[in-house]
Amino acid sequence: MSEKDANPSAKDANPNTSETLIGGDLLGRWEQIRGREGTVVGLTAIFVALFPWLFARAPVVSDFLQGYQSLATLILIWGIFAIGFDLLLGYTGLLSFGHAAFWGGAAYAAGIVAKNVSGDPIVMVLSGTLFAILFAWVLGFLSLRRGGIYFSILTLAFAQMMYFMAASPLAFLTNGENGLTGVDVGSLFGVLHLEADIPSVGGMLLGTWLYAFVGIFFVAAVAVAYRILNSPYGMVFRAIRENEQRAEFVGLNVWRYKLMAFIISGAFAGIAGSLFTIHGAYVPLQSLFWTESGDIVVMTVLGGAGSMFGPVLGVGLYLYIENIVSTIQVLTIPFTDIVLIQDFGYYWHLLLGIVFVAVVWVVPDGLWGIIGRARTFVSEKMGGEQ
Amino acid sequence: MSVLSDIVVILLNGLQQGAIYVLLAVGLSIILGTLKFVNFAHGALYLVGTYAGLFVALNVPLSNGKLYEWGLTTLGLDWGFFAALVMVPLLVFVVGLLMERFVARPFYDRPDTDQILVTFGLAIVVQELFRILFGSNSLPFDQPERILSFGSFAGIPVSGPVALPIVGNFPQWRLWVIGITAILVALVYLLVEYTDFGLVVRAGTRDAEMVRLLGIKITRPYIVVFGIGAALAGVAGVVGGPLNVVNPTIGTNILVPAFLTVVIGGVGSIAGAVVGGIVFGLTTAALVSLAPAWSQVGLYAIAAIVLLTRPQGILGDEEVAP
Repeated sequence: MSEKDANPSAKDANPNTSETLIGGDLLGRWEQIRGREGTVVGLTAIFVALFPWLFARAPVVSDFLQGYQSLATLILIWGIFAIGFDLLLGYTGLLSFGHAAFWGGAAYAAGIVAKNVSGDPIVMVLSGTLFAILFAWVLGFLSLRRGGIYFSILTLAFAQMMYFMAASPLAFLTNGENGLTGVDVGSLFGVLHLEADIPSVGGMLLGTWLYAFVGIFFVAAVAVAYRILNSPYGMVFRAIRENEQRAEFVGLNVWRYKLMAFIISGAFAGIAGSLFTIHGAYVPLQSLFWTESGDIVVMTVLGGAGSMFGPVLGVGLYLYIENIVSTIQVLTIPFTDIVLIQDFGYYWHLLLGIVFVAVVWVVPDGLWGIIGRARTFVSEKMGGEQ
Repeated sequence: MSVLSDIVVILLNGLQQGAIYVLLAVGLSIILGTLKFVNFAHGALYLVGTYAGLFVALNVPLSNGKLYEWGLTTLGLDWGFFAALVMVPLLVFVVGLLMERFVARPFYDRPDTDQILVTFGLAIVVQELFRILFGSNSLPFDQPERILSFGSFAGIPVSGPVALPIVGNFPQWRLWVIGITAILVALVYLLVEYTDFGLVVRAGTRDAEMVRLLGIKITRPYIVVFGIGAALAGVAGVVGGPLNVVNPTIGTNILVPAFLTVVIGGVGSIAGAVVGGIVFGLTTAALVSLAPAWSQVGLYAIAAIVLLTRPQGILGDEEVAP
């Protein structure tokens, strides 16, 4: 990764770091700290630590949310996937409909390695991610020959090929339609069982070792993505999104940057896919199907493409609705018995689809964009001149 | 069974399979070539066509879904297949007009990705609506027995086997599918190549602004092109319905091969869509009989090879293709 091609003045593009607002108002201070990498990673780590507790065990909040531990793990896994996907869609402007190939492919690779070689979780993640990187390289090389919509269609097509490969010609490896069953996930470093609670905190905050394992990857994913995006290298991604032709004319090798963005996001998807196998000890064939790519698109756009945490918000919302809201039978107006919608859970996918269309139509920057605008509105009212 | 008859059967089956792809791909291709609009909801139009075909042509028993819960145990008017073949394209044509006006038009000036996203969302909504209304079970769509039967006229038999020279008995309906497709595609080709309407459309493909400056209202041809594309998808749903399973996921499942056909053939080219469809149909049919496990994979392998050698598609125009 040579950084000398990158626009050298790009470093100044982040206004938060260049401002000197020492001793000013609290809001300005916060704005200054907020942009720092350490703050972002630190707050993410704190959030990850508190998340399962808030979600599943906190007194009032979780009674309301009705979440469960395992769903918290799943949200972080898909969150890693979404962060990687957003590097491509939100920052580089490439809409891939083929990321199921990396997610599902890595899940299969990790599962097959666990069955035939070693069930060590670290080995599983490494092999899954390696597979995803190699496959992303090939698929990106093929699909990036055409831009715009053709890229979307081609990624979709080649990922579908993967699905059909797993479905029948490779059935001896992948177990075909039934999915890869009986994956034995070993213990971490040979001693820590992933299902076991973490002893020192009594399972109060972090929960199981599996959650901690996933959480570390999540925080690392946030840190890496943040580092990439705020480096000159990541600035080129944005330049490509804004105007590919201009980036080309400046002398950047756009093709190489796009391929690298594709591979990086494939690697994130690979990590997430491998963790998914470790989490469920099972790989459904469905994980390679193109609707799975559609899911990650919906999650990312719903939350807000082009922001760091928007996609994660989208993931949380999607999985929450899929797993919790879909079990609601009758939707009533709160604190009354008046029935709003009968069989509410039955319609969850339809409602999500409608919300998705509305978001694409009205607020292309997603829910995170709405929150951002609300925040600006509030801070304008409160802080004044900023 | 000789080798020759095997080959002919594969050819015929391939043409029939390809015909469905061609119907979808021609519609997709003229919309993509003319309007520069990416319609990921094209599969949804196929879905609408199939269910509308079921409704007009047959009395299909429902066993789940909201309609069943509301007391509708059968779906259909039983007006026969010919009626479906006329009415469904008209219906889907109107759906296409509405889609152009209310979904596509607001998105012409927005990025490609937004067009894909909104139509993809729409496809999800349509699929879910059908799942809720008709249930997720596969419905029986029987092949039509006769068409044009009314009064004393017994009609033309279209189902059952027909004796062909080399092959022997061959399912007749498949030949009808090939025939109907050939006629429709020829009509669209004539319309685009040899009429004033087609001239405006083709000029709009090259330079919409210039057409507008010449004082021609380009929006009207545009909306009609979208309608025609949609109607073709509707026909594909009706004629293809009896040959495949019918459930709410067929729309999303057919979308990928249809799009590939367009890309392989060359965007905006009707002849390209036909060639792409036939190539895919023949590949699938050949692999189904020779190496069934690879039948689906072959499609994508062909696509990969074509794109590596000719990125603009088999009959694509290098200049027009981005």
